[in-house]
Amino acid sequence: MRKFFLIVLVTILSASALTACASGSDDAPAKAVEDYLNALVAKDADRLSTLSCGEWEDDALIELDSFQAVEARLDGLACEQTGTDGDTALVLCSGNIIATYNDEDQELDLSVRTYQVVQEGGEWLVCGVR
Amino acid sequence: MGLLQVGASILTSLLIGVLTSAAVWTRFAQTARTYLLLAFSILAVYWFQPLIPLRSFDFWLPSLTLALVVLTWFITSSNGARSSSWRSSQNLIALLLIAGLPALIALSRYFLPEPIFTAAAPPRFVIFLSFVIALAIAVTLTVWLSRRFVWILSAVIVFLVVVLVILKTPALALQTSIFLRTLTNRSIETAASTDLRWLGFSYIAFRLIHVLRDKSRSPQVPLSGSERDQQAGRLPGLSLAEFATYVVFFPALAAGPIDRAERFAGDLRKDFVLTRDEALLAGQRIAIGLFKKFVVADTLALIALNDLLATQVRTAGWMWVIVYAYAFQIYFDFSGYTDIAIGIALLAGIKLPENFAAPYLKPNLTQFWNSWHITLTQWIRNYFFNPFNRWLRRFKSIPAWTMILAGQLATMLLIGLWHGVTPNFVLWGLWHGAGLFLHNRWSDFLRTRHPDWQQNQRLQSGLQIGGIVLTFHFVALGWVFFALSEPTRSWQVFLKLFGM
Repeated sequence: MRKFFLIVLVTILSASALTACASGSDDAPAKAVEDYLNALVAKDADRLSTLSCGEWEDDALIELDSFQAVEARLDGLACEQTGTDGDTALVLCSGNIIATYNDEDQELDLSVRTYQVVQEGGEWLVCGVR
Repeated sequence: MGLLQVGASILTSLLIGVLTSAAVWTRFAQTARTYLLLAFSILAVYWFQPLIPLRSFDFWLPSLTLALVVLTWFITSSNGARSSSWRSSQNLIALLLIAGLPALIALSRYFLPEPIFTAAAPPRFVIFLSFVIALAIAVTLTVWLSRRFVWILSAVIVFLVVVLVILKTPALALQTSIFLRTLTNRSIETAASTDLRWLGFSYIAFRLIHVLRDKSRSPQVPLSGSERDQQAGRLPGLSLAEFATYVVFFPALAAGPIDRAERFAGDLRKDFVLTRDEALLAGQRIAIGLFKKFVVADTLALIALNDLLATQVRTAGWMWVIVYAYAFQIYFDFSGYTDIAIGIALLAGIKLPENFAAPYLKPNLTQFWNSWHITLTQWIRNYFFNPFNRWLRRFKSIPAWTMILAGQLATMLLIGLWHGVTPNFVLWGLWHGAGLFLHNRWSDFLRTRHPDWQQNQRLQSGLQIGGIVLTFHFVALGWVFFALSEPTRSWQVFLKLFGM
C-alpha cells in the first residue's frame, strides 16, 4: 500500500516538474491567433468564444456573423509575435481570408491587422486588434 | 456520436472482444476485459464531449462525471464487505485508471500540438491536480458523513436531481452559464441556455440514482451474516472498475440504454468468447443501426417537423407529411442509435437491454409505452410510478380512477420533464398521461360491459388494426408538442392539420 502511494506521489511530482518546464512556449500567442482565425473561417462560434478573452468575445462573434453568408477559407496563413505592449503580446499574420460568394472570391489581407493577445489563466487569448 | 466516433467504438469493442477471447484460458481474461472497457470508456467520456463556449469545460464536465462516479461508488460501498474496500488491488488499479487517464489527457497539452481526446486544449496540469485533491477531500468527507448519517445517500440523489433540473431548465441553465461566465471573466452578453451541454448526463444521473436508491433501501427480510457483510441494500457488491464501467460504458454513454448495474456486472463477470456467430450478429445490428440513423433518419430530417417548417407549410396535407416524417425520423434516429450501441456492446460481450420493440405497431398506448424507450419507462416505473402509487393507496378515500389518473399524469409529466423543463415537454407529458388514462378506462369498460367481444375474432382483428392506426396517430400528434419550442406554434400546427 505504501509502495503504491509512493509511486503515485513520485509520478505526480515528476509530472508537475515536467509541466513547469514545458509551459511558456515562445510561439504560443501566434498559435492562439492561428487557432482563432481557423475557428473564424470554420464559423465555429463555440471554439471562437474559447479562444477570445472576455472583453473581445462579443466582437469576435460579430466578426464571425459577417462570414455567415459566405464560404471562407485561409490562404497562406502564418503568424508571428512581433512584440509586446505591457502584458499584451502583439501578433502579426500574413496570408489572406478568402471569402467566396456566388463563385466570386474576395481576398481579405490579414497583414493589415495586429492582433492583441493576452494570457488569462495560463491560456493565450485573442483580445482585440489594432 | 458521429460516424468517426461510431467507427472508433466498433474497432475498440472488437479489439477488446478478440483480445479477451484469445486469452480466455487465463484467469485474468475477464478482469482484463473490465479494465480495458473501463479505460476506453474513460477516454470516450472526454472524446465524445462536444466543445462548449465555456473554456476548458469540455474537460471539466467529463472530469465531473468521473468524480460523481467515484463519489457514488465510495458512499455506496463504504459499509460493504472487505472485498469492496477501496484498498483492494482491483479497486486501486481502477482508481489509478480513473485518475491517471484524465491526468494524461491534461498533460497532453504539453506534448501534443493539438488535443486528441478533448475538443479544445485541456487546462493546465496544476489546476487538474488541485481538482483531484479537492475531490479526494470531498469524497473522504462524504464517505465519513455517509457512515454516520443515512440521509447522505438521499442527499446525493437530491444533488443529482438538482443538477439535472438545472441542465434541463432553460432559464436555470442560462443563469448558471452567466454565473460561470462571471466567475471565469467571460462575456455574459453571449451566455445561452445551451452553453452547458454535458454529454450523457441524463443517462449517467439515472444510472447513479438507480444504484444510490437500491443501496439505500432497507432489507425487507433479515439478512444472513454474509449478506449483511456484502451490503444492506438490494444490489450486489460491485468493484470500482465494474461500477465505473457500468455508469460510463462507452457504447451507451450518449443515448443509453439505461441498464441495471447488477445485470451489467453479471455480463462483465461471465467468461466471454467472441464467436463468429456473435460477431456477425453484432455486425448485423450495427449495420441496421447505421442505416436507420445515418440514411433513413437523416434523410427524413430534411422534411421533418421543426419550428421553421411549422411556419412555412400552409396546407393540411403537407403538414401531415411533415408530422409523419418527424414521427418516423425520431424513431429511426433513436432506435438506430440503440441498435448501434447494442451491437458495439455485443462485440465486447455485454448484452445491453433492448430499448424499442416495434412501438408504432402497438394497438394501444399502454403497449406503445412498453415498447418505446423501454429502459427509461422501466426506470420511471421502478423509481417513481410504483412508489407513487403505493403512496396514493394510503389514502383510502380517493376513488380508484382518480389514483389511476394521478399516477399516469404524474409519471408521463416526469418523462416529459426528463427531456426538458419547458411548457411543450409538459404538454407532451400530459398528452400521453391523459391518453394512458383514457386507454385504461376504455379497457376497463370493454372488460366489464362487453366481455363477449373477446370471443369475436373478427371484431378483435378490427379493434387491433383500428387500435394500431389510432395509437400511431395519437403518438404522432403528441410529437407536435415534442418537436416544437412553444405551445402557440404547436397550436397553430394543430389548426393547420385539421384545416382550420
